[in-house]
Amino acid sequence: MSPASGLPAAELLAVVGAPHLVTGEGRLRYRIGGAVPRGALQPADAGEVERILALAWRDGLGVVPWGGGFHQGIGRPPARYDLALDLARLDRVIDHQPGDMTVTVQAGLTLEALAALLGRHGQHCPLDPPPATRATVGGVLATNLSGPLRCRYGTARDLVLGLRIAHANGTRSVGGGRVVKNATAYDIPKLYLGALGTLGVIVEATVRVYPRPPADAGEIIAFPDLSAAAAMADRLLHSSLVPTRLELLDGGGGRGIRLLVTLAGVPEAVAFQQNAVAEMAAVAGGKLQTEQLPADLDLLGEFPWGADTGRGDGVLWRGGVRVADCARAMAAVRGVAGMDVSSEAAATVSAGTLRGRLSGGPEALCQAALKVRTSLEGLGGYLVVLEAPPAVRTALDVWGSPPGSLHLMQQLRQAFDGRRILNPGRFLESL
Amino acid sequence: MPMTADTPHNAIPIALLGALREIVGPDGVVSDPDELRVYEADAFAFQHRGMPGLVVLPTSTPQVAEVVRLCARHGAAIVPRGAGTGLSCGATPRGGEVVVALTRMTRLLSLDAVSRTATVEAGYVNLWLTQAARPYGLFYAPDPASQQACTLGGNVAENAGGPHCLKYGTTTNHVLGLTVVLPSGEIVRLGDVVQDRPGYDLAGVFVGSEGTLGICTEVTVRLMPAPESVKTILAIFRTMEDASTAVSNIIGRGIIPVALEMIDRPTLQAVEASSHAGYPLDAGAVLLIELEGLRAEIEAEAAGVESICREAPCLSVQTAQSEAERIRLWKGRKEAAGAFSRISKHFYHEDTVVPRTKLPQVIAEIDAIAARNSVRVASVFHAGDGNLHPLICYDGDVAGQMESALRAGSEIIHYCIAAGGAVSGEHGIGLEKRDQLRLMFSPADLEAMQKVRRVFDPAGGMNPGKIFPDEERGAER
Repeated sequence: MSPASGLPAAELLAVVGAPHLVTGEGRLRYRIGGAVPRGALQPADAGEVERILALAWRDGLGVVPWGGGFHQGIGRPPARYDLALDLARLDRVIDHQPGDMTVTVQAGLTLEALAALLGRHGQHCPLDPPPATRATVGGVLATNLSGPLRCRYGTARDLVLGLRIAHANGTRSVGGGRVVKNATAYDIPKLYLGALGTLGVIVEATVRVYPRPPADAGEIIAFPDLSAAAAMADRLLHSSLVPTRLELLDGGGGRGIRLLVTLAGVPEAVAFQQNAVAEMAAVAGGKLQTEQLPADLDLLGEFPWGADTGRGDGVLWRGGVRVADCARAMAAVRGVAGMDVSSEAAATVSAGTLRGRLSGGPEALCQAALKVRTSLEGLGGYLVVLEAPPAVRTALDVWGSPPGSLHLMQQLRQAFDGRRILNPGRFLESL
Repeated sequence: MPMTADTPHNAIPIALLGALREIVGPDGVVSDPDELRVYEADAFAFQHRGMPGLVVLPTSTPQVAEVVRLCARHGAAIVPRGAGTGLSCGATPRGGEVVVALTRMTRLLSLDAVSRTATVEAGYVNLWLTQAARPYGLFYAPDPASQQACTLGGNVAENAGGPHCLKYGTTTNHVLGLTVVLPSGEIVRLGDVVQDRPGYDLAGVFVGSEGTLGICTEVTVRLMPAPESVKTILAIFRTMEDASTAVSNIIGRGIIPVALEMIDRPTLQAVEASSHAGYPLDAGAVLLIELEGLRAEIEAEAAGVESICREAPCLSVQTAQSEAERIRLWKGRKEAAGAFSRISKHFYHEDTVVPRTKLPQVIAEIDAIAARNSVRVASVFHAGDGNLHPLICYDGDVAGQMESALRAGSEIIHYCIAAGGAVSGEHGIGLEKRDQLRLMFSPADLEAMQKVRRVFDPAGGMNPGKIFPDEERGAER
């Protein structure tokens, strides 16, 4: 039986054309864990996405929207995986009026390509989840991943102004708009951010952009212990300084506890703030390691993913606690180091969000990940497993305990995708 | 005051009245027609008024839940209400509903200075929060013009903005979590002080839903460190084009003021006539620019702004040297609406938003629309984010003038949407702009919203008739 059996191949072919329906070996590229789709489609535009979804809806096919593919480890394995819907060809810039400080792009555009476009106009889009080279706009919005720049610029929910959505049944709708301030009916784009594609496929997005600051600088500050670093971070957050990044790092590889601070703005203000940071560091007992900043920023840009971790044999996670509990959470994470695992973690102190990487044998990994989750939950927080070996995935639910409003979420899923064709089984319980 | 024919006053069943009194106490139910009249409109009493059947004033989340459950059982529609300062009739009854006013729920529940968050009850007044946070060096950023009266619950319902949201964003950017009583009476927590929990962003969708998805009873917000320094600059220009050039160059240089307000010629003439703010009468536009942040940053940016204005060119530019001077520079802007009530019998306060670079062409078109409809239109803008507030002046006692004003308003909205704008920048839709939604959204776009609405409120009893055009409201009572 050919893998494509059960697919409406002729109809799909009529939509995308022969080179863009992948049914042979090429499907392996779209593997998620052990699951390989029966076919992959590479539509050219939003209209083709809608027509593909209409066919999948009719036949009840499980569809996985695919951006750069880098973050497909997130979530549970798909319950049904008939089609990979690869949005790479939706990579056009629809509209960029630099003076409006907004840009409208298709979902498959990579953050790197977006940065190149905006850079030519002295602008940037401060969405910086790892890794910029492969992450696509649509993928980043669907997973709601963020990076250290959220300290200054917020996350997708602060930056997205409008979305065009291809719905599970093949219809389309738009939400929001192209203006930076909008109180016109429901703020519907919020629904799709972080929804892992389960309420509809993001095909186009309008996001807010910012002028590239005329100057920037930063510091890496090494501390003898976590509490000294946390105290300085707290002091900095309550000062009038405006850091663009403020990360509390607990690096493996002997790099110890450090704070990473970056600053941007007019040169006078950057210089002033850099001095202030150096003074705070001296008072807090920290040691400046300015020369390491470029290398550390590169590492952080990939973290917790990274070239030095073999994929599939470590646990990559993200979590969150109240801002006030950030140092306690980092201490708890550090506490698993004795359990036959090595641990690295970074916290965005202003948001109370953390991410990290555990490495070690399967059994130790399981126990360490559970311990970190229990600690964070003990502080009223949560832990989500981003990547893990199958044994760990089996042992602990990647999403953790569901929220109290789960029943509303389940009803929304039912209303937007009653046939459960979009990423079936991958998100929270019954979503 | 002209009115549309609203649904007639519905009789509230005696059993419901009695049961509500039992929940909230006798002083928590208003049923006297004279007292009810206070609740028949919000601050936009231009077209719509409606007498509520009853007003209920609960004092806790469980009371709200009981009230909502009871109303659901009796099939009584509910209109949630804060201070009633809204500008699109979001809290205006159509007639006969039970108004649930949150104005007795005014407690500050917690303020965590380390996490920089606060949780308040829905009736807590916006300005109180900044006052409560000040001793910790913190403040609450969204500052709608009505901030001395408006409530956080109302701010959540309307996604309120304010002159300073150019830099800090609107209410949605500052809300972390909500306690909500669903139309079924169930109490749920949406969002959280712990950020990025997995799941759909229900708090994000709830903000700006104008009371149609449930009643928000508690709000958890982000607080921000108070800025070290503030600078206020006022520049006067010969023409609107020169002022627009200055705005473009300020933004283009990467300067993001907290406020960037533009006042057009008719407005500055009206202000000058009523309060002598010191504007030259031949000026074409006034820009008010406020910068907030680090002293070193603000000094450099203020110098940049001054030179950009001079190059535009401007007639004059001045920077406030003291708090008293700062207040004086803001005086003209703050008194704009008041000045109009002195020179025009009635005015209609429009709210729309366009991509910022479209402002000059929109301004020119507004002049043409005003001339075509023989009305005076004066505009103040949040120029930095393209949000316009044309004030359409008319005399309601002269036959046909109100119709002309309405027509001019509608033409302005049409033009702004065609220019890539939105129906409302910050006032919301309510009853006022329901029929304009379709200019911006297709039936499929509205259907996505209705799906959300039906999940939260399958019976359609929560603030019925608001936001959506009549044909879209199948399930509503």
